Amino acid sequence: MSSTRRRVEYEIVKRLVGPALMQVDHAQRRVKSLRKRAAKPAGPFGPPLESVRKLKELMTRHYLEGRYADGAVPVAWVTSGFPVEVLRPLGYHAVYPENHAALCGVQRVVPHLSEATEEVGYARDLCSYARTDIGSVMLQETPVGRLPKPDLLCCCTNICQTVLYWYRSLAAHFQVPLVLIDPPFVYGEAKPHHRQFVRDQLDELLVVAARVAKRRAPSMDEIVGVTKLAREGTRLWGECLAESRNKPAPWTGIDGFFHIAPIVTLRGTAECNAYYRQLRDELRHRVAQGIGGVREEKHRLLWDNLPIWFDVRGMSTLLAEHGFNFVCTSYTNAWAEAGSRIDPADPLGSAVFAYTDIILNQDLGKRFGTLARLAEEYSCDGAVLHSDRSCKPYSIGQLDLKQRLAKQLDIKVMVLEADHGDPRAYAVEQGHGRLTAFMESFS
Amino acid sequence: MTGAGAPVAIGVDVGSTTCKAVVVDRAGAILRHRVEPTHPRTEQQTTRILDELRLAVGCELPIGATGYGRKRVPGATKVLTEITCHARGAFSRVKRAVVLVDMGGQDTKIVRIGPGGDVADFAMNDKCAAGTGRFLEVILGRLQVPFDEVSAHVARARRSVPVSSTCTVFAESEVISLVAQGEELEGILRGLHESLAKRVAALAGVLPADARIVMSGGVALNAAMVDALGAALRREVSVLPDPQLVGALGAALSAS
Amino acid sequence: MRSAYVQRQREEHGRKSIVVLPVHYPKEILTAMDVLAVELWGPPGAPRGPEAGRLQAYVCAVVRNALAFLAGGHADVVDAALFPHTCDSVQGLATLVTDFGGWSKPSFVFQHPKGPTRASVRKYLVAELRSLADGLATLTGRPLDVAELRAAIRLHRTIDEVKTRILEGRGRLATSDRELYATLRRGEWLWPEEHLEELRVLERQLPEAGAPARKGVPLFVTGYVPEPMSILDALDEVGAYVARDDWAAIGRRVVTPARALDLEGDPFETLAALYYEAPQCPTRSLDQAGRLQRLLALYDQSGARGVIVHEPKFCEPEAFDVPAIRKAFGERGVPLLYLETELETELAGQTTTRLEAFVEMVGARRVA
Ligand code: SF4
Ligand code: SF4
Repeated sequence: MSSTRRRVEYEIVKRLVGPALMQVDHAQRRVKSLRKRAAKPAGPFGPPLESVRKLKELMTRHYLEGRYADGAVPVAWVTSGFPVEVLRPLGYHAVYPENHAALCGVQRVVPHLSEATEEVGYARDLCSYARTDIGSVMLQETPVGRLPKPDLLCCCTNICQTVLYWYRSLAAHFQVPLVLIDPPFVYGEAKPHHRQFVRDQLDELLVVAARVAKRRAPSMDEIVGVTKLAREGTRLWGECLAESRNKPAPWTGIDGFFHIAPIVTLRGTAECNAYYRQLRDELRHRVAQGIGGVREEKHRLLWDNLPIWFDVRGMSTLLAEHGFNFVCTSYTNAWAEAGSRIDPADPLGSAVFAYTDIILNQDLGKRFGTLARLAEEYSCDGAVLHSDRSCKPYSIGQLDLKQRLAKQLDIKVMVLEADHGDPRAYAVEQGHGRLTAFMESFS
Repeated sequence: MTGAGAPVAIGVDVGSTTCKAVVVDRAGAILRHRVEPTHPRTEQQTTRILDELRLAVGCELPIGATGYGRKRVPGATKVLTEITCHARGAFSRVKRAVVLVDMGGQDTKIVRIGPGGDVADFAMNDKCAAGTGRFLEVILGRLQVPFDEVSAHVARARRSVPVSSTCTVFAESEVISLVAQGEELEGILRGLHESLAKRVAALAGVLPADARIVMSGGVALNAAMVDALGAALRREVSVLPDPQLVGALGAALSAS
Repeated sequence: MRSAYVQRQREEHGRKSIVVLPVHYPKEILTAMDVLAVELWGPPGAPRGPEAGRLQAYVCAVVRNALAFLAGGHADVVDAALFPHTCDSVQGLATLVTDFGGWSKPSFVFQHPKGPTRASVRKYLVAELRSLADGLATLTGRPLDVAELRAAIRLHRTIDEVKTRILEGRGRLATSDRELYATLRRGEWLWPEEHLEELRVLERQLPEAGAPARKGVPLFVTGYVPEPMSILDALDEVGAYVARDDWAAIGRRVVTPARALDLEGDPFETLAALYYEAPQCPTRSLDQAGRLQRLLALYDQSGARGVIVHEPKFCEPEAFDVPAIRKAFGERGVPLLYLETELETELAGQTTTRLEAFVEMVGARRVA
């Protein structure tokens, strides 16, 4: 198919079909909600967030556009911690395999996709995001219909080294270029030559990304523009999270796991920011009205590590029933912190700091500092550290973190062993049993 | 045991749960056999069994030993792994290229047997019991279902209740909670078989399109498992005659 | 045994010593600064002490055992620790023991870059090498001498050349795998010059080129570290031997540059050049295709008749390449065995069976 034709199709979807679909969806929902009357507390939860609808719309559109993106616009597959701002002015459609894998986790298709990778020899001990993604590529199956093929793979190791091996396998499969941004792990303070290295890699990225997109490299003005948007988005996301410092918190930490999708996948776009503005306003409104995410908030917890995607609903219900809420999570917070260091006056120079000094790329002393600060700022009386079989970088050190948090903050802390994506590695009943025992210990 | 010829060799397969021994004739027919639970004192046990068999046939014979206790069979003239012996044993029965799935107590092996009876490739589970007969045994024990009634139970299932954990410990607790939630036993058992079969299929990896599957080992006596395996591999699975004795048969043939 | 050796090195030569985690580090710099490297691959066996419990069971045994070893005071005889940027787990260990307790002596990191030779990477690597040398100077109390670094590079080049000859001539060498690998692995802690002497002894036992190959089924191994060493005994017992290896600890660290190196210029540039001449390893490179090519070439040269892929459980960098390795050898009809071990001292019965069955299978093919 000619690229012009693809391009026209893509534009139609982007400008017409997507929004139109959403209109239909809206109308249907309005009818439904007329019948049901929304904004009533749902079980142990407060009334559902209005913004959820908008979130679904945004993400559905994102994946819908993706279906028509390859051949029409350059497509990049990008890790969650990658400086995507640089790609936006070049017209890239960015696909986030991690976000996609999370979606597969929620829909419980991970075992199926992972089996395909295990069949060709991938060990089941590997990160389930990677197994899910590679399985989805091999089988060409995805719950979102279709993922566009990449023209460029963009990997940043500021979250883990796993992405390096994973993207290396993707590069071998798709036979497309892979750009790597490798910010050295920060022990104490990053050394000047470490910062310089990241800066140099960003410069190289600009060249490669432009070449693959067959465009001239973006101008500084363009980069500044996107950077402003990204920073604003990050700030707004931070504001949404910060509303949970109120008592009761206007939403649950588990809501946060879902609402994080735009800041990860659409960072640096106007839609992303519009969305978070709406969400923030809704949360503020709820705070003013005294509406909580959990109907009766008795205890406030901190969550560390990725969510257990396939059990988020079950777990949040269990907690809400006991009057517990995860009022903050180190995972959702990471996206509010990283971008706050972006300075539109010096987009690339500040990106060095923004993308190097993120929670998973720093020593455990700083990790502890962040957790302790969050626990205090959000008045937590307990913490659950999810020891995630699939994510070693996030999980190493948690047993020590537990001791320290409990001792220094005098709060109750438990370590819950599970997996962020693969239900075969986690016995839900046992996990809920342990959580229940933990909650009982508060009374 | 038809058309029995003169005995030519003895084969002993000392598995982790059962100890098997056969006497064969030149054509590979089994003249006599023994199956008993494996005794911790393997040497004593195999010496006794060998003495009995020698006495019964009335002569000295070469002895092939296999199984995890193969190095503790006094007087063995040929010592080979179960992989090689199962391949020989299976090939002597089917005389063509096949994929053999042997599911025993502690391990499961998949052996791709070439057209000449050679081992073309094999896979075997690691230390973990997931994917072996032991997995079923533990959970059936918990559910108090006797082994020989399993197939009948599974056949009665109206639907399959998925069991997602494949780790024996996790699966055990998952099954218990399914029972507590009032799921019917038959459905759970079917789900359990399907889960185990999937694990074995994963071990098998990508099989040639025209592969024919035959099964041996104690678990092959469980018809429900044979069906589940066929479904998971999307192929017909046939069970070898005397599935438990295939390894011992191969050992005997190798020694003769 | 090693503690006594480290002690003697200190007393007789006034040498500082440093415990080094796997895999890649510029040993030349350590040698030039008169620092003895003592590598810590685990050590094998059950973790020495309860501190391993500070890490989850799904972290590889290399790192869990190292934590128990360091935090249990078993490495207290050395003066410092060096953590290369090998993987997330070593990185996590480095911050765990230094920030949360377990190692109170100085610790250094060598954050080698990943990926191909881009201009930025080369520049960074040189800076990182210099920075390591500066750091070590605080330990030794004197800065690195450039001439000494050149000399150390030459010494390690000689060591690699001798190793290459031994490994390439392996098929003619009568020595058992156990003896051969024990000698090679003593390089993990011996002072390099002593190690070289031992290697020379081995080299002298090499028969002339063209001498008949040793008996047994030749195998090629790719993997991490030859632990448990009883794997070698198990192979020996059924008449097989390792004709060539790509264990990260051994063969994968022997550098045979394809291009001539500038040994007179800036030695840090020489080290950077060596970094890129070194065999492909997933802990430092992005080039999977290059790695496969090298493995296939080594396999062909070695005359091996089967491949063993031998990895530690829970090792991400190694495990991600396994499907591609399987595929590459599978397409050429080469028999392949995948083995996973966890630094146990004795092989599990099942593992021995699989090894033996593999040798029976490969051996039978020749006859057929
Ligand atoms: S879940 Fe952990 S290991 Fe997996 S990609 Fe994310 S950070 Fe890396
Ligand atoms: S075995 Fe693998 S995971 Fe463990 S330290 Fe070595 S490279 Fe890292």
